[in-house]
Amino acid sequence: MSDLVETFAQNAAAAGFVVHRGVAPAIAGAGVSRALYGVASTGSVVLGASPDEPRSRHLLPEVHVALLREDALVADLAALFRAVGGALPSALAIVTGPSRSADIEQRLVVGVHGPREVHVVLEPR
Amino acid sequence: MRVQLFATCLGDLVFPEAVADAEALLRGAGCDVRFPPGQTCCGQPAFNAGHRRAARRLARAFVRAFSHDEPVVCPSGSCAAMVAHRVPELAGCAPFEVWELSSFLDHLGAAPPARNEGVRIAYHSSCHLLRELGVDAAPRRLLARTGAELVDLRRPDLCCGFGGTFAVRQPEISVAMADDKLADGAQADVLATADPGCLMHLQARAARTGGVRVQHLASVLARGAV
Amino acid sequence: MSFRVLDERRLAATDAATLRLLAGRTGAWAAAGDAEALRERAHEIRMGVVDDIESHLDRFVAAVEAAGGRVHRCASAADARAAVARICVDAGARLAAKSKSMLSEEIGLNAALEAVGVDVVETDLGEYILQLAGEHPVHIITPAIEKTVEDVASLLSAVDGVPLEPRAEALAQAARRQLRQVFERADVGITGANFAVCESGSICLVTNEGNGGLVTSLPRVHVALLGMERLVPTLDDLAVLLQLLARSGTGQTLTTYTRLITGPRRAGEVDGPEELHVVVVDNGRSRIGSGPYREMLACIRCGACLNVCPVYRKAGGGAYGPVYSGPMGAVLVPLLQGLERERALPHASSLCGACTAACPVKIPLHELLLELRRDLVEHGVASRGERIAFGLWSLLWSRPFLYRVSTSLARRGRPLGALAGPGRAWAAGRELPELAGRRFRDRR
Repeated sequence: MSDLVETFAQNAAAAGFVVHRGVAPAIAGAGVSRALYGVASTGSVVLGASPDEPRSRHLLPEVHVALLREDALVADLAALFRAVGGALPSALAIVTGPSRSADIEQRLVVGVHGPREVHVVLEPR
Repeated sequence: MRVQLFATCLGDLVFPEAVADAEALLRGAGCDVRFPPGQTCCGQPAFNAGHRRAARRLARAFVRAFSHDEPVVCPSGSCAAMVAHRVPELAGCAPFEVWELSSFLDHLGAAPPARNEGVRIAYHSSCHLLRELGVDAAPRRLLARTGAELVDLRRPDLCCGFGGTFAVRQPEISVAMADDKLADGAQADVLATADPGCLMHLQARAARTGGVRVQHLASVLARGAV
Repeated sequence: MSFRVLDERRLAATDAATLRLLAGRTGAWAAAGDAEALRERAHEIRMGVVDDIESHLDRFVAAVEAAGGRVHRCASAADARAAVARICVDAGARLAAKSKSMLSEEIGLNAALEAVGVDVVETDLGEYILQLAGEHPVHIITPAIEKTVEDVASLLSAVDGVPLEPRAEALAQAARRQLRQVFERADVGITGANFAVCESGSICLVTNEGNGGLVTSLPRVHVALLGMERLVPTLDDLAVLLQLLARSGTGQTLTTYTRLITGPRRAGEVDGPEELHVVVVDNGRSRIGSGPYREMLACIRCGACLNVCPVYRKAGGGAYGPVYSGPMGAVLVPLLQGLERERALPHASSLCGACTAACPVKIPLHELLLELRRDLVEHGVASRGERIAFGLWSLLWSRPFLYRVSTSLARRGRPLGALAGPGRAWAAGRELPELAGRRFRDRR
């Protein structure tokens, strides 16, 4: 289990997330969502649309924070789909870092059109 | 070991010295080299241009000229690939045991004379040899055995731009590709290639622009880079 | 009919971009473990669909409808344009926000919507820039590859009415601001579909920017354009293909936003479209799927073949046409538009095979180009002169005696090739090679 957490933390950081353990950062104006799952192999946070989770919450603000319980981590995409496949929400978002584009002269810019800064808070059981 | 030498049409008509070098290398490696006199062309130019009936005529001629009982060795990656992968299907016959020259020499463990001490040589991996026959290490090993200082091309993956009829259907692109290859090869004293098509195209461009010296691999191995 | 080499600036831009993407892909593949096994599996998944599109489509349609979406099956581009226009008009739409869709370019959608009074705005940054410039995309992944930061500054400044600094970060922020209003005001969101999953009826959208998500959460109606062959049977299969798509296209493990949409918004949800329409487009795909070129339908539009192609990096995407370019374009465009019309494309290749080696779903691209060339000859599209020339040449050279005679006559040190036709094309940039005084066979 701790292996999965460390793998996730590493890959999420590599993908551009700011990774927190236990305590959520207090950032004014940030969108905060509870993640359904986290995918360790890719460092992705998985959000599902629901009455409590608008589809646009992780896209509109400039900063987004995802709260992720450690026991909601899965190893890879295949494991994710096995876990969620039977009951897919209307929109499932697998988010791997901040919004980015290299469309202008191949220069990487963040924050077009989604958040430029993304955080994930790992919550131990 | 008896082998049948397939000179290829470009070898026969434009680069006979390279073919002679290939023969010398084979002899030096202990082979008894036979030159089937009925040989002409493997038919690749027609085949690659979509003219299958024309290619079939040449494939059948190849089968009439060559025996299935001895390996065919050929100083051209693209012709070797044509004979290996296309000729039997076109002509309706059994496959040939066919080898591109450097892969055969390497297979025999040949040790060409050390005529390239101190010479910087870049090797151009012609596309058919690299991707259709999977041969890339053998030519480099042979070059190293001759004492050459092997220079890595920056973009060894890129085609030189010959491509048969492509060279005349897309002349501007073809020449631009040659320029890139020649510029890349200019890091070395000589750019060596195992394919007469690549050789002809690169030499022809270099003759116009004054680029790096391009030679057939067989000549570089047999007589040293000149 | 032959391609021109791009001008120096565009050449440098194309080279830099393709090299960056290729390096990314090479690194990602190396880290992926058993790349060959993955490619083979992906090939099987895609060909399993291509070999039986109809029954996969039936399953998909049933699942979409069960999830509350509507499916519109369209045989032709015209049918598809009409279907989307009707959906927009019925919705009373004035503004449509579009996330990138090559299929929408293929069918010429934007003009059809403008004609019924719907303003269409591209939201993918590269596509937005090109739309402002009135140009077509030239690369699958990075469509505005040839535009400079100054070009972009001038285009975006015109929208704002104030001059913008020619710096990528500042321009990206300006685009974000300009397009945020579009997302919020749009009545309809139009997307493509990278994949569609049969078992769940889900549309999978893959972006790095997040515009796919905004376009499918704020507007009231979502229209997803789907090529009928872009299906995968199960979510398990999707997992395999998603891994390959990002790795092959950009070198990422996964694109930033991988989104699975299953039906419109549900009861209690506060955003998301009220209506989901999936427009399934044939436009020649079923015809291709039942013929010898059906492997081309396995394509997942990753762009890997463009990034390794030595011709693409010199000629640029525009040389191939307005929608699809590089090796996949050279195969697909003649198949969609007809060989008669696109006779040059199968020959816009030196058959180096790099594309085939790079393709994550193992489409034998260069072999397909060879087959297309054969079709050109056998269906009488290739020039009669060329057929006669090759025919005569093969008759002479298949007889050793005639080979000797014809080559004896031609040599004596005279340059190879005629002064006209192929000879002239060669001689424009190269010295004509000389025939050797003595053939090899004369020396033995």
